[in-house]
Formats: sequence, C-alpha cells, structure tokens
Amino acid sequence: MFKRKRSAEDFRAEIEAHLALEAEDLRGEGLSEDEARWKSRRQFGNTRAAEERFYLRGRWVRLERLLRDIRFGLRSLWQSPGFSITAILTLALGIGANTAVFSVMNAVLLRSLPVSDPANLVYLRTSNPPRGTGTIDSNQTFSYAVYDALRHQGRGVAPVMAFVPLSGSKVAVRFGALPEEAEGDMVSGTFFSGLGVSVPLGRGLSEQDETDHAPVAVLSYNYWTRRFARDPKILGATLYVNSVPITIVGVSAEGFEGVEGGGSTDFWIPLQNRPELNAWGNPTEDGKLYVANPTWWCLRMIARLAPGTSRKQALAGLQPLFQSAAYIGLGSPMEGERPPVLSFSDAKSFPGLEQQYGNPLRILMAMVGLVLLIALANVVMLLMARNAARQREFSLRQALGAGRMELLRQLLTESMLLVVAGGALAWAFAELATRLLGRWAQIEASLAPDKTVLLFTFAIMVVAGLLFGLAPLRTAMAGKAELALKTSTAASNTDVGKSRSAKTIVTLQMALCVVLLVAGMLLIRSLRNLENTPLGMKVDGLVVFGLKPNFTSLQEGRAFYLKLIDKLRELPGVESVTIMEERIGSGWSDNSDMRVDGKLPDVSDGASRTVRNNVAGPGFFTTLGVPVLAGRDFADSDTPTSPHVGIVNEEFAKRFLPNMNPLGHTTGNDNGEYTMTIVGVVKNHKYRSIDEEPIPMAWYMYAQIPIVGPMQVELRVHGDPLAILPAARKAVQQMDPNLPLIRPMKQREQFDTTIADHVLFARLAGFFGFLGVLLVATGLYGTLAYRVNLRTAEIGVRMAIGARREQVVWMILKESMLLTILGVIIGLPMAMLVGRALAASLYNVKPLDAGSYLLSILGIAVVSLVASAIPAARAASVNPMRALRME
Amino acid sequence: MATQENNSDRIALLQGTLDLLILKTLLMGPCHGQGVARIIQRQSEEVFLVDHGSLYVALQRLEDKKWISAKWGVSENNRKARFYELTRKGREQLAEKTGEWRRLTRAMGLILDAGSEPLGEEA
Repeated sequence: MFKRKRSAEDFRAEIEAHLALEAEDLRGEGLSEDEARWKSRRQFGNTRAAEERFYLRGRWVRLERLLRDIRFGLRSLWQSPGFSITAILTLALGIGANTAVFSVMNAVLLRSLPVSDPANLVYLRTSNPPRGTGTIDSNQTFSYAVYDALRHQGRGVAPVMAFVPLSGSKVAVRFGALPEEAEGDMVSGTFFSGLGVSVPLGRGLSEQDETDHAPVAVLSYNYWTRRFARDPKILGATLYVNSVPITIVGVSAEGFEGVEGGGSTDFWIPLQNRPELNAWGNPTEDGKLYVANPTWWCLRMIARLAPGTSRKQALAGLQPLFQSAAYIGLGSPMEGERPPVLSFSDAKSFPGLEQQYGNPLRILMAMVGLVLLIALANVVMLLMARNAARQREFSLRQALGAGRMELLRQLLTESMLLVVAGGALAWAFAELATRLLGRWAQIEASLAPDKTVLLFTFAIMVVAGLLFGLAPLRTAMAGKAELALKTSTAASNTDVGKSRSAKTIVTLQMALCVVLLVAGMLLIRSLRNLENTPLGMKVDGLVVFGLKPNFTSLQEGRAFYLKLIDKLRELPGVESVTIMEERIGSGWSDNSDMRVDGKLPDVSDGASRTVRNNVAGPGFFTTLGVPVLAGRDFADSDTPTSPHVGIVNEEFAKRFLPNMNPLGHTTGNDNGEYTMTIVGVVKNHKYRSIDEEPIPMAWYMYAQIPIVGPMQVELRVHGDPLAILPAARKAVQQMDPNLPLIRPMKQREQFDTTIADHVLFARLAGFFGFLGVLLVATGLYGTLAYRVNLRTAEIGVRMAIGARREQVVWMILKESMLLTILGVIIGLPMAMLVGRALAASLYNVKPLDAGSYLLSILGIAVVSLVASAIPAARAASVNPMRALRME
Repeated sequence: MATQENNSDRIALLQGTLDLLILKTLLMGPCHGQGVARIIQRQSEEVFLVDHGSLYVALQRLEDKKWISAKWGVSENNRKARFYELTRKGREQLAEKTGEWRRLTRAMGLILDAGSEPLGEEA
C-alpha cells in the first residue's frame, strides 16, 4: 500500500487543532476566552521545536542541517559583500604568503633527497684542505686520491660515492646537428645503487663502468622529458659531450635531479679519465687530470653508512684513513700544520641550499608568520564588529526560540565559509607566487607544493576557522533575548565590553607592523648599499662571453687566443678586448697560497695567506677600467718568450710586501714551479662578487703560463654592449664553426647575479613589510570606522551640547595616536631583536640602523593618521540633530 | 525554553513509557492527540506530565511504525482533529509491551521491598 509522506503543514495543522481543543476544554473549566487560549499555548510549550523534531525525523539530519547552515551562512555573507570580500582577501593574502614561502622552504630545506633511506646518507666534509691544495669549496671537496682510499679501505661506509660536474656551469653537448648545453656530472659507478635511485628505463651505472671509464650516460627523467620527449628509443643513441661520443644507456627515476644543490643534473656519466672530460671542465694542470692531481680537491662525496653502523663509529673508522690519504702526493704535513678533520653532514636535503637560503628563508617565514597574525587579527576584528552590529539579530533569534547551539553553529559555519574561500584563493595565489619565486631565485629544484605544504595550509585554515568562530562568540552570546526589546542602537551596544579587546588587538598589530617594517627597511637599505657598491672598475660598456675550444697543444691554444683578440679588436665599435680564465662577477675564483720572493710570506696577526688569482690577457685592466696605481698593465709584448710578468692588487702589496715598492719583487704558485715578476699594482676591485671584502689578488699572463683552456672574452664597446654579439659570434665562428658563445651578457648583469639572492630576499622582505602595513591600515581603519559608527549618538550629543568639530576630530585621532604610540613602544624592542637576527644578511647596515627605525616609525605614524582620517572626518560631519533623531 | 509549569508533584515520563501509554489509551477507542494527553494526565491522577510536543512526535513515530493509523475527523464538539486508532500490529505490541512493563515493575518491586522491613516506614 502506497502512502504519501505526511507534510509539515499537516503536522502544524494538527498542533493548531490541539490548541483549539485544549482552549475549548479550558473554557469549559470556566476560564475566559483569552486566558484559555493563552494557557493552552503555554501548556504546549515550544510548538516550533515540535515541528522541527517532526521535520527532522528520519532524515539525514546532520547533512541536511549542515547544508542548511551553509546556505544560511552564504546568504548572510552575501548580504554584506564589503565585509566578506575584505575578510576573504585578507585571509588569502595571509595564508597565501605563508603557503608560498613555506613551499619554497619545504622544497629547499625540508624535503628529503628522493633516494631510499636518506637518513643513512651523509655528505663528507673536511675542516680544511691540506696546505698546498686548490679546492672548489674548502670544506666540501676532496682529491681523487682521498676518494680512492676511502672507497677501497673505508669501514662502516658502503659505498662511498664521488660526484663532480663536468663544468662550472653547463657543458657543451650535441645530439644530432646543433651544439647545445646541459648539466652533466661524473659520478662513481655505485652512484645509483648506493643512493638507491632506480633506473626504470635501461640500466644504471656499474663499478665496471667506473673502472673502464665507460662512455655511457644515464639521463635524468626531466632531461629525457624536456629534450627527448620521453622517447624510449633513445637508449643506445649517442650524445656528444665536449665532442666525446657517449652512449645513452638509461633514464633515472622521475623526481631524481641529482645531488648537486640548486641546479638539476641532466645526465650522469662514470668518472672519466680524459682531458676533454676533466672535472669542472678545467684544462689539465701540468698535463694532469683530476684523477692524477692530489693538489686539486675537486670531488664532492656522499656515503651510505653500513647497516648497523652509527655515524660516530663510521667516522672514527674513517678519520685516520682520511688523514693519511689527505697527504698522498703532497709530502708530509708541515710542522704545526692543522691536519684536516673529516666530518659528516646530513644528506637529507640538498647540499649548499641550506647555506645559501637557510637563514633568509627562515627570516621570510617569520615575516610571513607575522603577516598572517596581523591578517588573522584583522579578520577577527572585522567579525567582532560585524557580530556586535548583529547583536539585535542574535537577540531576536534567541527570543524567537533559536538555541545557543544553533547560533554557535551558524557562526562557525560562517567563519568556515570565509576560511575555505580565503584558503582556496590563497592556494591559487601561492601557486603563482611560488612559480615566480622559483624563477626569480633560479631554484631549479621542483617547488610544486606537495602533501606537506597542503597539510601546512590546511592546519592554518583550521586554526583560523576555529579562531574566527570562537573569538566573536562572546560578543554574540552576550546579547540576551531581552536585548531585542531595547530599541535603541546606542543602548544595545553599550553594555558589551568589546572595545578594549579591539584596542589591544590594534596595538599588537601596530607592534608587529613595526617589526615587519624595520626588517624590511634594514634589508632594503642593505640592498641599496649593495647596488651602489663601487666595483672598482668602469663596468658599463663591458660585455663578456665564454669560449670552450679544444686544443691539442699549448701552442695551438695560445695562437688561437692571439688571433681571436686581433680579430675582435678590428670589429667596428670595439674599444678594447681582453680575455681571462675565471669570469669576473660569476662567484667563482681560483684561490691559493702564493710565494713572494721565493717563499711563503709571513703574515702578521693571523691574516690569511690566501690569494685570489686569475689568468688575464693583454690590456686586462685597461679594458675593465681598473686604475693601475704603479707600473703597467699586461701588454701584447708579454709573450711566452719574454720575461714572465704578473700584476697584483693593493691588498696583496699591503699584506705581503708592506712598506715596500712591490714592483720588481717576484711571486708565484706555492710549489715554486712558476715565478713571475710583479710589473704592476692595481687598485682594489671586485673579482668574485659585489659583496666581497678586499682580498689579495694576483694575475698571471695567459700567454706565459703552461696551461691554456677555456677563456672568458671581455669587450669594451661603444653603445649598447649586447649589439656587438652577432659580429663577435661571426668572428669566432670564422675561427671554429662549432664554437658557441657561452652565456654572453653585460658585465654589469654578471655582477648583479652575485647579489640576486640579496635582491630577491630584500624585495620579498620589503613586500611583506608593505603587506603588513596595508593590513594594519585596513584593520585600524575598520576598527575606528566601526567605533565612530557606534558612537554616532554620543558624538551627536557632544556636538549638541557645544563640542566643536575640531574637538571631535581630535577625539578620534587621539585614540588612534595613542594606540600607535603604544604599538611602537611594544614593537621597538622586538624589532631590535629581529634586527640582530638579521645581522648576517645585512650589508653595510647596522642592525640598529637609526634611519631604518625612524623611517619605520614615521611610516606607521603616517599610515595610522591616514587610516584614522576618514573615520575622523566622518565623525566631524555627524549632524547632531540627525544623530539624536535616528532612534 | 520550556514553559511547562514546574510542579514538584508531577513526574516527567520515563524514556520509552510514553509509547506504551499512548497505545493503552487508544485501546479504549480512537482518539485525537489532545484527548490522549488529557486522558493520560487524568488517569495518572495528574502525576504524569505530558510534554505536548513530545506527544505529537511520539504519535508520528508510532504511525510511521504502523502501530497506529490516523485520519482527520471531527471531534465531539465539532472541531477538526486528527484521530488515531490502534492497528492490529499495535494491539500485539501493546500486549507485548505491557508484559514487559509488568515484569520490569515486579522486578523493581522485589528489589525495593526486600530491604524495607528492617528500616521501618514510620519509625
């Protein structure tokens, strides 16, 4: 039998019928008409509650209720679009900034290497290299001899893996016809098996490959995708690396981009033993490759601890082995020489990144944390204002029978809706910001937000949602049902003590804002200092590019560059031409101890003996525009057969030849194999980067030393420096059609790359400071505007009894000024602490830089003035008659 | 929210007993909700307090279980009312529930009376 479901109307009709029957019975008992009706209702109790229970019977109660709450919440938010949009945008900015910075931090600092069991992997570090060695990084690189000893005799570690790039930047490769560039590493045969990285396509490398120096390569998944469109037939194809044919034998697992920090490796080949594929793309030194050169510490090492071995045990086992291996081929340590000490460092994250980005990222994270706090506080204040204004609504609803639970549920639903909308927008915002950040910082590691980031954002959203639901509850609940009967807005808003909490929040926001502003200001001033640092040369008008020709003999190399310089000098628009081994402003330098007058110089008060040196061509300093203080520049007349000459800088002369005329003294490399006579002293200038301190420097003449390899060509031209490149490329290709110009750019740009991190950091910090100020301004404006609104009646009364407009304006301004001053007083000590934490990231700015603090205080004062001006003006324009009549 | 008079000599109904009382009341013939409420209150000598809202929800529940059926009709004083009637299933349930209730009260009585003698009643 089919029966239609009973309707709610029918149920209500039944209740009405009940009331009528009851009233009639009561009248029969002698009550009056009105009394009877009233008493029947009273006896029944809450008819709405009964109807609701009828309605809810047997339904998906919770879901239905939730949907209803959401619909109601949406309607209620829709009714005040200004509030909703402000709250959602504020949240999106706060949460988005946090998500963005956190996902970078997660990718750069927290994420593990995509290898199996990363906890048991360690990078090998040394306290210092032995005397007489050249290094890539004095703590992270080792000689081949050390690697060889550790991997064969090391106990407690299995295996020890070495890895070294084929070039400081990118290496020339060719697949098919055109030359191109890629990042390639030479690695141990145990590299893939030891790290536990799978090679799903083809095969990985083997120890036999390393022994044979087999010409085989494994591509990274990324490179395979980017360059070869995931063509599985690529296996067996030939990739020419520096013209050496290499067979592609495998493609590594997706997500693995090598263990080099920052960059991503495109392919790996076994450690090689041929001059075209020397470590770091360097030319051979006295005919020796990295494999045979114990004075060149150029390999990085990573090791897996043997199962069941602790780090301490493994280190204890390796230490004596390392300390003896360190001196293989170097002779015995000098008396009093500090022996190098081996140590391990976590290989959980990428090497170098922590060093480079660790502190800035943590500071940025703290800054966006403050931004988030300010944003949350803003929304809380908005909600409080809104709910206070809605008190009559709440009172009315309570009077009509809504339970407190229902009100609470509704508030929570509304805040959840805000948070979800804000969070969704934040996620989109963060995606974009992260991509921009990644491109800006040139971090190639994947920054795509992962589960950790999602969880982080979700946690913020939950906290925000609860905060927003609960914080305004007190205000909302304070309204009793009776309040609805109070008809005056002024009266209904007076008995709630919420103004003090709003003031406290604004004051704290001001304090946080001072911290943000000071941090941003310090970093931006540092950036200005960096950007305005004199380089010690006339950098405008210079253009630089690299060349990596292959030579079979020293003579061929020298002849090549001699001819190249001649050809380039003839190009129209070229003022002068020179070459150098290390590109200046690239962050790289050759460092070593040097002999002065045949012996290692004595240095007073523990100063370093390290000399930063470079190999230069004729007219080097003239081209760069570095003043020659004494003697002369290198010249065409300095040839292999003429007396060997060198040039040093002021700092060199001051430290090693104090109070003497340096001209005529000799200097040379620290094993005494090469000596040159100092013929010139040049003014100190920047070599490696903009932020370096003056350091002793010395230059060899390229035509007189026994090595010649890749060089950087520097041109000084009239007009736009880059306009010369097509002509230069043509000139180069006339000499060797296969030679690309490597990373051609203005010299200025090249130097700027050395402060790119600072620039990014300072810009971000400045941006977050600005964001903080903006949020504080809107928060202050909102609070004051709301309070002025509430006090309209009061202001009206004041004006009616004779207060002048200025007095009213002053009344409002005074309040915001007081909050500002309090905020600044609380914020300053915090800002000083933050300034101290920033000290390492500052350049020529003291952590207590008065200017930054003053500007910050001025900034916040202006902001609070502007934010309070509008409410104050509105207060002044209150029409006393209307304000009083409003009720 | 409840505006019921709070008379201390009245006892709120035990959970689940309302169904039994409704069924018993309807045994005497079809009746509307207000009548059921009145009868329960009167027959219990005004001890039981029937929350009217709960009563109608309970009636609906019993109707949903098909223990009672309902149709709109006209009361003795010519007012519209919804009349409830026991179904066959309802009668069976009443018999069963009554038995259950008797067993329960007997058991309660046995326990409560067992210790009453030494304590005495007036002493």
